[in-house]
Amino acid sequence: MLNVKNIEVAYDKVQVLFDVSFDVKSGEIFCLLGRNGAGKTTALKSIMGLLPLKTGSIQFDNQTLSTMAPYDVPKQGIAYVPQGRGLFSELTVAQNIEIGLMVKNSGAATRERVLDIFPRLRERLKQRADTLSGGEQQMLAMARALSMEPKLLLLDEPTEGLQPSIIKLIQDVIVNMKQAGVAIVLVEHHIETVLTIADRVAFVENGRCQKIAEINDLKNNPEEIHRYLGVN
Amino acid sequence: MEFGPHLLLATLEGAISAAVLALIAVGLSIVFGIMRVVNVAHGEFYMLGAVMAWWITSHVGGHPAIGFLLALIVAPIMVGSIAALADHLILRRINYDPERTIVATIGLLYVLQQLTLMTFGADARPVEAPFNMRIALPWFENGVDGWSMYWPWGLSTTTYKLAVIVAAVVVLVGLWLFMTRTRAGLIMRATQLNRDMALAHGIPVEKIYALVFGLGAGLAALASVLVVPIQQAHYLMGGDPLLLAFIVVIIGGLGSIPGTIVAAILIGMSDGIISVFFSPTLAKILATLLVAFVLIFRPQGLMGKPAK
Ligand SMILES: Nc1ncnc2c1ncn2[C@@H]1O[C@H](COP(=O)(O)OP(=O)(O)O)[C@@H](O)[C@H]1O
Ligand SMILES: [Mg+2]
Repeated sequence: MLNVKNIEVAYDKVQVLFDVSFDVKSGEIFCLLGRNGAGKTTALKSIMGLLPLKTGSIQFDNQTLSTMAPYDVPKQGIAYVPQGRGLFSELTVAQNIEIGLMVKNSGAATRERVLDIFPRLRERLKQRADTLSGGEQQMLAMARALSMEPKLLLLDEPTEGLQPSIIKLIQDVIVNMKQAGVAIVLVEHHIETVLTIADRVAFVENGRCQKIAEINDLKNNPEEIHRYLGVN
Repeated sequence: MEFGPHLLLATLEGAISAAVLALIAVGLSIVFGIMRVVNVAHGEFYMLGAVMAWWITSHVGGHPAIGFLLALIVAPIMVGSIAALADHLILRRINYDPERTIVATIGLLYVLQQLTLMTFGADARPVEAPFNMRIALPWFENGVDGWSMYWPWGLSTTTYKLAVIVAAVVVLVGLWLFMTRTRAGLIMRATQLNRDMALAHGIPVEKIYALVFGLGAGLAALASVLVVPIQQAHYLMGGDPLLLAFIVVIIGGLGSIPGTIVAAILIGMSDGIISVFFSPTLAKILATLLVAFVLIFRPQGLMGKPAK
């Protein structure tokens, strides 16, 4: 469904991604693992068309994303929850969700479905996004993405800095999306989460995709994860 | 004239400056706020509005109100389209790079100024007001037999000047409703708050930029069409308003519309009052000093957010 082929990406003159390739199937949770600065965020931004490719191509559903205008990428059914959440901080909860709904011209039914998943947001519709707690902000970022009715969901460290109950909620939402057939690219440092929900894992090191492994192979061999992440 | 009536007169003149300045400065402010572009050519869009108003009114016969109404609609649209074209041809090509846009808009300033000089000449051009009744204003006096009302000689204004104030207020309220209540306004604010995430939600950011640049220029042109029956059109008239608009935008807080309006009232009123009682030069000196103090003690402006 998503096909990243031999991409190389640079910020001005500094090259950050080198010959990165992977593919993600629908109904699959594909996890990018790697230390800080490895290039995971850069890979997601490249898929969204926010950074130009030096070489390589990105295909989705038989469309070439890498030659599209960036604002056409989300219209193919791709939603992005960036690191740090990327909310429209001065807009209200309702307005943030409305901007998500605009992408596919979805109506009130989608909006209600999304708010049913995150009832805490329903109580705070008129509140400004930057006045929400960290957990609520992440819920809003997820809600805004779900309101685009995506076929592919890009999540950059969605559980970063959250308390366990909210991590569980976010995990459940991700698994539900997967079961509904959505393809998911997940950047995640929280190893428990990776082992619980991921299907396949790509190890990213210094801008290169070193290895792609099935999660079941890793479960028997957790030292491998630790080696790539550099945690003891 | 005694002090009281004189002050009222000065306040009225100040209110007109404030109203016009608010329109110009809000145009500059939304362009900076949404696009992060410091538009040095903003004063020239103001000038173009006035010159077009003169050109249109001098080509339309009949009652002066007909030509003026036409100018009020056509001039801002034309100037806005010219600005959107300039955005497309110049600013987009240099990728909205902050430093290069300053240089580019300085260039645009001279191009617009010289083209206007070459096309329309260097004369100041009058535009007749659509209506212009003089109305005398009363003053109150506490004399030996209590309060009494009288009509001091020279204390008067015109219906047109009052209409300028009303028109500016209506436009600013309309703009506020547009930005906060409409879908297009929501899209503009989202673009301002997070350009990348706007793109990631299907918002064609570059088209929005062209629209915003046109809207900003259109507001300046609207202000000058309103002013030109009081002031005359001239190819060099853009300089002073540009300076004052920058002062207002800095004092109000870069990109904050409410802050810009408050600062426009402050600067416009004091400019009017000080000009009447002392001299216009002193008014400009004081405004410039005020900017210096704001920059030292509250660099984010009255209503701006501190830089993170
Ligand atoms: N805007 C930028 N300009 C220049 N270099 C950047 C920029 N963003 C990230 N980088 C560099 O690119 C590399 C990869 O960053 P990133 O993709 O954010 O890594 P990760 O998400 O894996 O932590 C890092 O070396 C980082 O310093
Ligand atoms: Mg990152």
